[in-house]
Amino acid sequence: MSTEPKSEPPPPSSSRAAEPSPATSRRALTLATVAGACALAVAAGGPPLALALAPLRATKRSGRWVRTVKLTELEEGVPRRVAVVDDRKDAWTIERGVELGSVWLVRRGDAVLALSSVCPHLGCSVNAVAAPDAKVGGGFACPCHTSAFDAAGRRTSGPSPRDLDALETKIEDGHVAVDFRRFRIGVEEKVET
Amino acid sequence: MIRRAIQLLDERTGIKALAAHLLDEPITGGARWAYVFGSALLGSFMVQAVTGVALMTSYAPSEKTAWASVHFIQFQQAGGWLVRGLHHFGAQAMVILLGAHLAQVALFGAYKKPREVTWWLGLGLLAVTLGFALTGYLLPWDQKGYWASRVATNIAGTVPLVGEATQRLLQGGPEYGSLTLTRFYTLHVAVLPALLVGLVAAHVALFRRHGVTPPPKADPSRVDAFFPKQLFKDVVAVGAVVAVVFVLSICEHGAPLDAPADPSSDYPARPEWYFLALFQLLKYFHGPLEIVGTVVLPAVVGVYFFALPLLDVRDGTALRGRVKPLLPLLVVGAGAVGLTVKARADDARDATFQQERAKADVRAEVAARLAMDGVPPEGPLAMLARSPELRGPELFDRHCAACHTLGGHGSEEERTAPALDGWSTEAWILQMLHDPDGDTRFGRTPYKGEMPSMDVKPADADDTWSPMSADDMKAAAAFLALEGDAPGVAPPAGSLRADAARVERGREIVKSRCTSCHLFEGSGDDGGQGLAPELSGYGSHAWVRTQIANPASKETYREGAVDPEGEAAPAPGVGRRMPRFDGELSPAEIDLLATWVLGEARR
Repeated sequence: MSTEPKSEPPPPSSSRAAEPSPATSRRALTLATVAGACALAVAAGGPPLALALAPLRATKRSGRWVRTVKLTELEEGVPRRVAVVDDRKDAWTIERGVELGSVWLVRRGDAVLALSSVCPHLGCSVNAVAAPDAKVGGGFACPCHTSAFDAAGRRTSGPSPRDLDALETKIEDGHVAVDFRRFRIGVEEKVET
Repeated sequence: MIRRAIQLLDERTGIKALAAHLLDEPITGGARWAYVFGSALLGSFMVQAVTGVALMTSYAPSEKTAWASVHFIQFQQAGGWLVRGLHHFGAQAMVILLGAHLAQVALFGAYKKPREVTWWLGLGLLAVTLGFALTGYLLPWDQKGYWASRVATNIAGTVPLVGEATQRLLQGGPEYGSLTLTRFYTLHVAVLPALLVGLVAAHVALFRRHGVTPPPKADPSRVDAFFPKQLFKDVVAVGAVVAVVFVLSICEHGAPLDAPADPSSDYPARPEWYFLALFQLLKYFHGPLEIVGTVVLPAVVGVYFFALPLLDVRDGTALRGRVKPLLPLLVVGAGAVGLTVKARADDARDATFQQERAKADVRAEVAARLAMDGVPPEGPLAMLARSPELRGPELFDRHCAACHTLGGHGSEEERTAPALDGWSTEAWILQMLHDPDGDTRFGRTPYKGEMPSMDVKPADADDTWSPMSADDMKAAAAFLALEGDAPGVAPPAGSLRADAARVERGREIVKSRCTSCHLFEGSGDDGGQGLAPELSGYGSHAWVRTQIANPASKETYREGAVDPEGEAAPAPGVGRRMPRFDGELSPAEIDLLATWVLGEARR
């Protein structure tokens, strides 16, 4: 085909007899092509984009009461990390009785202070630190970026923008139940994710 | 023949002209070692692509399988460790080469007009490469990658306005889960490679259009062809990089694999070394200023890099005329080095960090060993939760160590129950028969004075008392120790219980002499009134399990043996009776606690 003589005039863009001037026809064709390509792109790209953006709409699960240890297992004033065990639905999986995360429990008489173990700075898991003199009354420290909190979870030093997040607790049949929630990281206000 | 084939191919494809175009590029001012970094990056990327595709053949991105499949690659597949090592160290080599390439281009002024777009495309490639590093770090779904990535996505979340949406899109939802992995994986193996190939094509095309930027003192009349003079240097550079990466992979036997990601654990998260400067920066901006460290300063550096060709518009590439626009680059470079050194020094001084790191290393090592037998479909965390080796000490510390000691767990000063080291071994039973109230046995317990010695005459004994002979004691110990052995396990050679006749004699002695107080197979002479425990199966796994679940079941000790809840502590220095644990611990936990206690006691 490539050996065809080049002297021939270019073939007309349309064979219709009654056609508008070549310039208008060319512009219309360009417009149609661009519009068609855009429509095609939207048709082909839209559904994948919607799928990729689906997590924006994923419903958030707010608090749930999870039963943890017996109150008698907690020593007065001594923080204890307790795993929060409950059912977990993750994407296509449902699991029964798995560890969702952990909370720090501090017994204060018949009440229990529960603190989320997630550092409000950037989400590392905070540790309890023993006070220099005794094991009671120490605070909490984040192993990542040096945020520190007192025994009540109040920010004492380091970069964290707010105190440790307290969670509601109640005593059920001698067990400590915790209203397990997660909060946005790295902001001053305590808002749920 | 070959010449003819090439000729035929060329007639149909124009391959010769293409090769000439690629290889005959003129290098104004002559070939230089300073120009090798771009090619070295391209070479390293090819190594990453090949090793990456190889890793994809065995990797399974889901919460339950990612760690297990990486473990399989690292420890069980032929050559898997080497491929993983090449990919791991190759990635670090790329980061270093990027730094070198950027520094060379900046020093030579190769970003200057008309090469601005080349420079910007290069910055895009820098971002894509760091994106590769960030997304790749998570894929093994081990503690290191999991916690570092959580910090990274939380940093994304601190960006005003778009932060939360960005974080959700990266994580695949409000929390970490399998979708986080599939998304990071998609970015790592499809999106970022496509971006990188496109950017590289444009970057190289523009570079070819404008050519190299020789230093001012280079002789412009000297022109080398890319092939072979520059290409030779480039190949040497790529070779050197690959050689270093090979050596590192072999020395380290692949790449590290931490314990499986555990959202409820504590872990001292640290990023890969080239992000340590950013990590350290986060420590300095407190409270509402947090965003300065997470977003503002990194963005300022990014804007500076972008603007560099616009700031430096004076003619000429002589370094002297460009000090001012390049000064921030120097500050950024020095700052990065300083912060990295500080981060390292802080960690080296931090005893708590070292302890936690050591704890994490032990867990990683145990997990790697356990997974050699295969990981269950419920995932590696389920595997670890079922491991007596890992869970045993945790459960013992939490539930037993307040009263007992065993293998370094529990405090000898605060102990109020028997020390369990050696418990139910032949030597321990012999001591028990001789001196039951010894300090490590009943000495500190409410049972003190309950059991008489077999060979020391008690003060209140009458004339009919006679000591048990040493031979009889050995026979009883042999029989009782055998009761504790797992069924089907042959007694160790040289042990007392290896002698079947002695064991048989021991059985008769125990049944005739001990049952006046003890139960044996459910019955004894005292009508079930006493405190002495059941001796059949003594020290067996079932016996220990029962004892932990409920010490008063009669299958070990009897009604009076259990500690009633809420009872006041007895006299100071004397222990309480043992509480039952079947409410606090699940049967599975009791089972693996018993396994660990027995293993540790008989170590």
